[in-house]
Order: sequence, then structure tokens, then C-alpha cells
Amino acid sequence: MYKNLYLQNVGLTPQLSEDTFYTLEELFDYTTTTLTDNFFDGSVSPRNEVFVDAYIKNINHLRNVGMPSKHNEQFNNANLNKLLDFNILINNNFNKMLNYVDDDVSSISYQSNRLVFSDGAVYTSNDIREKKPFNVQVLDFIHSNKSRQQEYIKFIQHTDNFSNLTFAFSPFTNIVTIPTGSNDKFYKNPLSIEYRNITEEPYLECNTSIIDIQHNLKVKINESVKATAGQMNFTTYVLRENSELILTRKSTDLGGWNIFDSVFICHPNSKLTIDTENNGSSYTQENFYINSSFKNVVKLKGRNNILTGNNFHQYVHQTSNDNDNYSSIDIKNVGHTYANTSFVGRYDIGAMSRNFDGNMSNQNLMLDKETKMHTRPILDIKTKEIKCQHGCTISNINEEQKYYLNTRGIEKPEQILIKSFLC
Amino acid sequence: MLKLTNFSVQDILQNINVQFDEGKTYVIMGKNGVGKSTLIHSIMGRPDLETEGSIEFLDQDISELSVDERARLGIFVSFQTPVSIPGLSNFQFIKQSLDIKMPEMKAKLDNFKTLSSQMNLPADWDKRNLNTDASGGEKKKNELIQLLMLDKKFAMLDEPDSGLDVDGIKTLVEQLNNWKNKNNTLVVVTHYEQLIQGLNPDAVIVLQKDTVKVGDKSLAEQIFNNGFDNV
Repeated sequence: MYKNLYLQNVGLTPQLSEDTFYTLEELFDYTTTTLTDNFFDGSVSPRNEVFVDAYIKNINHLRNVGMPSKHNEQFNNANLNKLLDFNILINNNFNKMLNYVDDDVSSISYQSNRLVFSDGAVYTSNDIREKKPFNVQVLDFIHSNKSRQQEYIKFIQHTDNFSNLTFAFSPFTNIVTIPTGSNDKFYKNPLSIEYRNITEEPYLECNTSIIDIQHNLKVKINESVKATAGQMNFTTYVLRENSELILTRKSTDLGGWNIFDSVFICHPNSKLTIDTENNGSSYTQENFYINSSFKNVVKLKGRNNILTGNNFHQYVHQTSNDNDNYSSIDIKNVGHTYANTSFVGRYDIGAMSRNFDGNMSNQNLMLDKETKMHTRPILDIKTKEIKCQHGCTISNINEEQKYYLNTRGIEKPEQILIKSFLC
Repeated sequence: MLKLTNFSVQDILQNINVQFDEGKTYVIMGKNGVGKSTLIHSIMGRPDLETEGSIEFLDQDISELSVDERARLGIFVSFQTPVSIPGLSNFQFIKQSLDIKMPEMKAKLDNFKTLSSQMNLPADWDKRNLNTDASGGEKKKNELIQLLMLDKKFAMLDEPDSGLDVDGIKTLVEQLNNWKNKNNTLVVVTHYEQLIQGLNPDAVIVLQKDTVKVGDKSLAEQIFNNGFDNV
């Protein structure tokens, strides 16, 4: 990340040696002090002024807001200190990482409908780059259109302090546009997007992206998140009028840690379906910010099987400021021994939002007394004419169900009960 | 087949001595709360029931075996109120419970649909979640299907008639009589006269806290005529 951002693109020489970049807090200090000062004293020769302007603005903002604290709603139950103190140069679990065998970036070219976001860059299959009507358009550092990219950057809504940090650490904001006219082409042949670390070197890598689903489209995107080291992603999805996005996201524990901020800007009559799966990691934070406008349908389903010793923290925040929005948030977490999970869900229903119909559910299955699970639903409703309900539970394996399966000769019923719970 | 010697379950049942033989059918009767369900679940090895004394199954002491080990030896219990497990389909449940491999497995699973149909269960029964959104009668039919499919030697059924309609009882009697053979044993907890007549039991066991009274079918008739206190 530093190599890209500060040497190649911006031309800034790192003030510290590689080995001394230890923790997020230190990165924050370095970015907001040394880097800003260097920009201002004119010692850099920016290659792309538009983006450097954005960096400066953002870094200044970052300096003002500071790093997240436990007082942030998103991090109420998360062990934030653990994250801030992470030595990002040390991969926590090399065994998991070494078992990760996947194609390298060069082989992506020959696949279809595939994009890889890695260390701020976008790699695509050849068919994505083909110039043909109604194909996906990618704007990045190589294929740039400064004025268009600048317009898109305005979409970025900073939601919490980590997204500020991700934006500041990303060399460029990459923009993927799915144009009107492609109709349901990318529903029948879904786009596959992978977020991955570029090398097996344990660096922190950041990706800031905007995915624009234009008018009257039905699009399916299958995302996979593969963090072999530190990875921070900040993606803004724009759903234009009458569009529909079906997003599936699967995060695999490959020994790294990951923070993923997803912002959804839902224009009138758009539909959003999100289906996520997680196993957690040494630290995983998944934040969804959904901004509903008018007649939006939002369905979010999370099925998270958090493995032994892993952390997983999810924050879902939906705002509704206009009429006739529907929302269903359905999150189920299973926590194995020493797992630490939290769910914070928030509905923010504005005074002008009538007929909002929302249902928020978070069910947790705690497999061990050493497991820590937290759940917190928040309904902030400023209007009367709505229908809104929530239900959050934390329970253990049902002994009666376990006994029932035992009586049929099943030796280890826990796995079956976990699967059925996550169904 | 199965023998209980000085068998006690917490303070519910004391020093029970009873033997169940191969190829025979038994009916267990007793007042409400006397411990009929407790007896059959303690034989199954339910973890929250502390027992003393010995349980021998096929000349082997099984008192230290876990529930699943007892089940794999051939003991089956059907529940008075079958447990529902949302997210686990009836078909998957049967598949997981069958301790056999392909191609025998396939033949068994094909039989599942046939049996469901014979029992007048809905066409999508295999896809429905286990005992979820099902009537009491449907759950009891599902228990019966499990017994018929799982090749058990010793079956204990806890009020299999409750929730079944007239046709359901008829089917239950037919299926249980078909299941019975000289190598297995059927134990049914019931107070339903029609079922007792249909099964034609070899023995009726009347359970009290510290005694069991064993008799033939006429013992059930005495109870129906005079009540438990007069037998």
C-alpha cells in the first residue's frame, strides 16, 4: 500500500522504515501528521491533482475526527483496542494463509465477468475491458476520466472513522459502472468481485470503490473477501431508479483481518438484496449503511459461523427519509469457543418517512461458555405511521433437539443443529 | 431382548424389575405422572435422568453407553411430543439417521417417499422442516416412518395414538403389525383401547412407583372397567 500510494503515485518518501509501521494507530499518526505536512510544504509532485486534493481534504478530515473509540456505536461491543494494537506486519495465522491456493492475478484475464480489487488497484477479466455496447465500465488509475471520477467521489459518504482511514490509504477510488441498456445481462451472468491481498506479504491494503448500478437494471454480484493480511475495504453502491442489486458476499478466514464498510445509496423504486456469510477472523468488522429514499425494498440476510477464537462484528444502519420503504434484516450468528461477536442494528426513520415496514432480527447460537456474543437493536423512529419490529436472541444448543438427534443414532448432532440454525 | 434389574430413576421410579423378550409386544399403562415416559427415556439414556441398577440389552450391560450408542445397537424411542428442528428437512434428517451407505441408502430414501404417501402426508413432506409447521398427527406419523425406516430391534413408542384421527390409528395398527417379527420387540405406552386391541399385546405392564404388575391383555380390560386402583 505504501509503495503504491506514496512512492509511485504521490511521490512521497516514507519517513519510517517498513519495519516500524506497526499498528493502525501509528499509521494514523503518520498519515495525519507527517503526510499532511509534506503535502502542504510542497515537497510532493502529485501525478494526479484531483486525487491528491481528495487525499488532502480527507486526511485533514481524518486528523479532525481521530481514530474510532469505543464510544462509537459501531464498536460498542468490539474489542477495538485489539484492532488498533494489531501488528499489521505479522500475519496471525500462516497455516491458514498457506492453505489458501488460488489463481494469481494474471490468470484473471482469461476468466469471465470477473474483477479483483487488490491494494487499491482493479484487475479485470478481458471481457470486462472489451469495448462493446452496454459492457461494464471501469475507471481506475490506468483508465481514468478525471472529471467523471471527481463527480463520483462526491457520492462518498463518510460513515465512520475507519472509512475515512480506508479512503485516505487507498491510492485511488475505483469506479465500476453497469450501464443502462444491459438490462438483466449481469443478472443472468453475475459479476464476480474479489477483494484480496495482492501478495502473501503481510501488509495493510485498502480499497475504495464505487459501484454504480444504473437505471432499470437487474444485477447480481458475487463478492468474496479474502484477507491474508490487513485489508480495509470501503465500497459505495449506487442503485439508480428502478434498479435491483442482488449481492452475495462470502468472507473466508485466511489468517488476515478485515474491515469492510459498505454504503448503499438506494434511489426511488430500487431493490437491494444482500446475502452474506462470514467465518470471522482475528478481527472482522462488517458495516452496512443503507440509505433508503422512496419505495425501496431492502433484504439483508447474514449467516455467520464464527470459528474458534475468531472475532466478528457487524453493524447495520438503515436510514429512511421518505415513504413506503420496506426492510428485512435477518442476521444469524453461531459463535464457537472463544469467538467474540457483536451485532448492532439501527433503524433511523425520519419524520417524513411514512409506511416504513421494517423487521430486524438477530439470532445468536452460543456453542460454549467461553464464547462472547452481543446483540443490540436500536430503533430511532421520528414518525408515527410505520410498522417496525425487532427480535434479538442469544441461546445455547437446544438440549432437547440434541437428544432427539442422538436417539436416532447421530453421534455428533451439533454440526447438524448449527447448519439448521443457519438455514 | 432387554432386562431391567433393580432399576431406579431418580425418585420417580424405584427398583423396577422387568424383562422384554424378542418377538413380543408389550403395552405399558399407568396413572398420569407415574413415570411411563421417564421409564422409556431412561432406557434410551436421556442424559438428565440419573439411573441406578442395570439395563441389559441383548445380554450386554448398556447402562454406561451414550444415547447414540444405544440407538445404534437397535433401541428406538418415539416421542410423545416430537421435537421440531427448523432448518432441517425431514428428508435430510432421515438421511443423516440412516447408518448405511449407497446404494442401499438410495433404496431406503426412495422408500421414504412411498411411506409418506401411504401415511397420507403432504406431497412436499420430504422438503418440510422436521416437525415444524406440522399437526400433532403428522408428527406422530413422522415418528412411525422413522421406526419403519431405521431397522431397529427394540422400539418404545410413547402414546403414538395421540393426535391421530380414526384412519391414522388404523394405519398405525397396520404398520406396527407389519413391523413386528420374531426378532424384534415392541413396547407401546398407551391408554387407547382400540390400539391395544389392534396390537394384540403379549403382555400388559402396569407401572407404579416401585412395582410393576404384569398380565395379559385382560389386565388392560380390567383397568378400563375398574380403573388403576382396583387392579
